Amino acid sequence: MQNTMKSLAQLTSLLARIALWIAGIGLILMTVFIAAQVFWRYILNSSLIWSEPASVMIMGWFIFLGAAVGIREGYHLSFDIVLYLLPERGKKVLHSISDAVVAAFGLGMIYYGGELAKKTMHNAIPSLGISGAWDFIPIIAGGVLVVIFCVERILRRAAGLSTARFGETELED
Amino acid sequence: AEKMLRSSDTHPDGYPTVEAVKYMGKLLDERTKGRLGIEVFHSAQLGEEKDTIEQTQFGVIDLNRVSLGPFNNIVPETQIPSLPYIFRSVEHMHHVMDGPIGDEILAAFSDHDLIGLAFYDGGSRSFYNSQHPIKSMDDLKGMKFRVMQSDMFVDMVSALGANATPMPYGEVYSSIQTGVIDGAENNWPSYDSSGHYEVAKYYTLDQHLIVPEVLVMSKKTWDGLSEEDQKIVRQAAKDSVPYMRDLWEKQEKASEAKIEAAGVKVITDIDKQPFIDAMKPVYDKYVTSDKLKDMVKRIQETK
Amino acid sequence: MELWILFGSFVFLLLIGTPVAFCLGVSSFATILYLGLPPVVVFQRLNSGVSVFALMAIPFFIFAGDLMVRGDIARRLVALAGSLVGHLRGGLGQVNILASVLFGGVSGSAAADASAVGGLMVPQMKARGYDVDYAVNITVVGSIIALMIPPSHNMIIYSISAGGKISIADLFTAGIIPGFILAVSLMVAAWFVARRRGYPTEAFPGWGAMGGLFLNAVPGLILIAIIFGGVRSGIFTASESSNIAVVYALLVTALVYRTMGWEDFKEATFAAVRTTAMVLMVIGCAASFGWLLAFLRVPVMMVSLLQGVSDNPLVILLLLNVVLLILGTFMDMSPLIVITTPIFLPVATAFGVDPVHFGVILILNLGIGLCTPPVGAVLFVGCAVGRIPIWQAMRTIWPFYGAAVMALMLVTYIPALSLWLPSLFH
Ligand code: NA
Ligand code: NA
Repeated sequence: MQNTMKSLAQLTSLLARIALWIAGIGLILMTVFIAAQVFWRYILNSSLIWSEPASVMIMGWFIFLGAAVGIREGYHLSFDIVLYLLPERGKKVLHSISDAVVAAFGLGMIYYGGELAKKTMHNAIPSLGISGAWDFIPIIAGGVLVVIFCVERILRRAAGLSTARFGETELED
Repeated sequence: AEKMLRSSDTHPDGYPTVEAVKYMGKLLDERTKGRLGIEVFHSAQLGEEKDTIEQTQFGVIDLNRVSLGPFNNIVPETQIPSLPYIFRSVEHMHHVMDGPIGDEILAAFSDHDLIGLAFYDGGSRSFYNSQHPIKSMDDLKGMKFRVMQSDMFVDMVSALGANATPMPYGEVYSSIQTGVIDGAENNWPSYDSSGHYEVAKYYTLDQHLIVPEVLVMSKKTWDGLSEEDQKIVRQAAKDSVPYMRDLWEKQEKASEAKIEAAGVKVITDIDKQPFIDAMKPVYDKYVTSDKLKDMVKRIQETK
Repeated sequence: MELWILFGSFVFLLLIGTPVAFCLGVSSFATILYLGLPPVVVFQRLNSGVSVFALMAIPFFIFAGDLMVRGDIARRLVALAGSLVGHLRGGLGQVNILASVLFGGVSGSAAADASAVGGLMVPQMKARGYDVDYAVNITVVGSIIALMIPPSHNMIIYSISAGGKISIADLFTAGIIPGFILAVSLMVAAWFVARRRGYPTEAFPGWGAMGGLFLNAVPGLILIAIIFGGVRSGIFTASESSNIAVVYALLVTALVYRTMGWEDFKEATFAAVRTTAMVLMVIGCAASFGWLLAFLRVPVMMVSLLQGVSDNPLVILLLLNVVLLILGTFMDMSPLIVITTPIFLPVATAFGVDPVHFGVILILNLGIGLCTPPVGAVLFVGCAVGRIPIWQAMRTIWPFYGAAVMALMLVTYIPALSLWLPSLFH
């Protein structure tokens, strides 16, 4: 069980790495776009009208991907002070309940994000001209990762492996 | 009432559109003998227009008072009354929107899970700036104006030879004050309530846009009503229009008086024809189908 | 019943250690399901809650902070500041508060300011022997100053929500003295805590050494001048200045100091992604939660509760403070201003409170709400840049809450503090 989990973890670790890279590239792109807007506005004295909506969309990518990776790496803020009073076993049960409801929320991100994308698919986004569905692709992609990483946490715990938590453990793969 | 319909509005309490929908709720309550009523969520409590439109389509909200701008990419017919200088005056706009063309546009919403009920007034938008009086297109050259994030607004301002700078509404005041932009454009009441007249003292009454606003109902809610109630709802919405226009006129007059008393210079002696002529590329870009071209022609022919 | 489900599931999840963002999201999801409404609205609010241009200053300031820290700009700046005030107890705490006063003119967003000041100061204070919780506490509560000192977008939102009858220029001016009162009371608190904890003082290094430190810090000082001067003189907006901070920090560390290699750059980028994704996810989920509160008419209910209680203006103002603090805990600032202004302002003016004065009270109140758990965007930014759990910050933040609440009481009960300065311009 532990060994299967460990090879599975290599896969999810790769997935998290890719998501983090996409998010990082997104942050750089945002920086470039807004810097270009500043350059156009102040040096060339005209306006770049796509830079703002494009950056806002990229921000969606890096927030939802980054937030999903945060579940795996445990860097979300939480109040776990009450849990310190509980025995190890009880703690594990509660953590797994928590991961399960977060996974349910991730399913919601996928399903309802998809519904929103379908609804707006045929509307163009102002100033960008691309399909309105792009506004919701990040939340869907983030949802997929949220579900995967939550399930991984539950399985790891069942297999007796560690899961990362904010200010507590770093994850060893 | 037994069933309170939830209605969204981005304007604050007391604003003519908010009051008109409340009035419509009162009419509904009377005419359905307490079966239906309306609860208005004003001040964008449930979200900005783009979001509340989706919420209405999904049936979370029953009614929604929105401007036509966010619909331009969804319902093509709404682009026509949103065209610059399409209406010669507010009366002209009333004649068009109260007639068959208005009904045609309202009907177009039903392909998008919405029922168009009525058009309200959105006032007429004009340019204001902090630099100098604008009397001709030459005065506009190279100036930076804030516009909404909308392709048509950007194209219109560019066609006039000025620089369009899309920017959130809340940032406009400081940006004019500090010179990031030279001005913006809006109607009297918004020019007043945003305080922009404190920092941009020249208001050029060019009335480039006289765009009505629309009251829509969720198709889900509509389908849940009896045929009789549907009729009552439609009629109550129509009956709230004169009520709204009356309030609007009063508010516009009050804002105008207040702003003029504050020492704003209002420029009225402009020759609008060159501005109108400059709009040709904008019309060419947005009025593409024969159906829309025909609508423009019919509007121009309307007295 | 809906409210029981909303708050009940929220508190339950919070207690079992669910990340705060998902506590907000899941409890909203559960409540919508219970109400039988289309759940799509929860995810739409989440998506639009993070798709706001003004929020972009947060990732940029955090990114700039990470670059400055890894590229040595931050250490050199703080070394200079330390040589100036290091002989005072808790000197860097005072520098931190002063930085909030300066940046108060920059972003107008408390969360963005916390990311700007915190990204720079917290790691440096840590390196110089201050406890992280102390550095985080000061950064968090200090950033409320930013809301008070102009320009402040929230004052504009307030004016618009009040129907535009209040001069924005007056509001801007009215916030200045309360902003400085808050700064001074926080400085006093910072000094007391520093003395009690026995933070070391550093010897004055001598003028010669200081010259060297100054030269070393020049590129960092130029950065501050660009950000501060740029926005003040009206050249840049807040989002733009935060972006310039990133570009400039990159240029200086890569080309001038030559302290930034590829690995450092990569790690700074990933660190910024982690911190901001976490903070903005909370802000997005709070948008769903806030939508439900508005939908279920919670702010209106709280007000009608309050209206029946007393007719003494002093009591009413105190109750207003309490209600705003509670609401500010669960909802974000701008929707709260929009929702509560039309309801509270008439109540306040009926009791003779000046609308400009009330605006200052409202914003200071909601600002404190941003720093208090369970939901506070600023608190989260602070904990995120300090990499400490919330409870660790909570344990020791009380003297600073105390200082902020004292400033709030002064501003509430002495109208002249807000109204005297604007009156000079009439
Ligand atoms: Na400010
Ligand atoms: Na709070």
